[in-house]
Amino acid sequence: MSLFSALSISASGMAAQRTRAELITENLANAETTRTPDGGPYRRKDVVFRSESAASPFASAMSSAMDGGTGGVSVSEILVDQRDPEQRYLPGHPDAGTNGYVAYPRINPAEEMVDLMSASNGYLANVASMSALKEMIQRSIDLLR
Amino acid sequence: MFSGITKVFLGLTTVDKATKPRRRRNFAVPYRPFPVIFRAFFMDYPVQYCRHMLNGLSGSLESYLDLLSVRQKLIASNIANVDTPGYKTRDVDFQTEFQSLMDGGQSHATEVTGLKTNNDGNNVSLDREARLLSENGVRFSAVSQLLRGQIRLMKSAIDEGKNG
Repeated sequence: MSLFSALSISASGMAAQRTRAELITENLANAETTRTPDGGPYRRKDVVFRSESAASPFASAMSSAMDGGTGGVSVSEILVDQRDPEQRYLPGHPDAGTNGYVAYPRINPAEEMVDLMSASNGYLANVASMSALKEMIQRSIDLLR
Repeated sequence: MFSGITKVFLGLTTVDKATKPRRRRNFAVPYRPFPVIFRAFFMDYPVQYCRHMLNGLSGSLESYLDLLSVRQKLIASNIANVDTPGYKTRDVDFQTEFQSLMDGGQSHATEVTGLKTNNDGNNVSLDREARLLSENGVRFSAVSQLLRGQIRLMKSAIDEGKNG
């Protein structure tokens, strides 16, 4: 079942990159958001990836005993940006403070776009790996024809 | 088992090793310790291959496909971890691992050296993984064709050559 478990490795990579791309899209969409349920401006979010050996503890121990623990990737946590928000002088804005400054999210669109490209490339690489695997599995099945 | 150029294609040896002339034994009489029939049964098919269904060749083809799938799994894992901080590229050493699989051992993945490490401690090179991915695919398809030929041969023998 080695080839089938490799399929789930590729799938975990795709899921992780998709989560990352979703967060980047959220950051871009909220680049100018000054009101959030928690109060204050929107804060930038980013993912932290962690390599993972297998789905269950037993499977993890088994696979590390068999081949040194090859595994997929998972999102271990979502980091929220703790930097101070950017202050813009807009006295007419409803969210302006007493000194006339409005707190805006600290989001750099160029940085987000570069991250988005990286996530998209990572996703495509996983798709390529998965289709190569599919081909190999198909070839194994064809052995019996 | 495999001849020189096939071995190079399958990654079991390097070109310089395959083309190196073999040392010949210098016997006064032709070297033939056993009668030919005896050799065919006992010398060419050592005990560890006899657990395989068809013959020695299909057994080694099977081990080879096993090793390719192990490697494919490692490549998939490397690609999935392309953005994981601190992840190190893992791979198998094809030549030694194939030999250990043939001897009934397990394959062991090792960390690859000589790759450029990024600022976050990750050293996965997507170009390297893409090359290995396509290389693996081509080898898998070539070896599965060979194995298919073996199975077809056996089927033909079972059908007494009627449908072959």
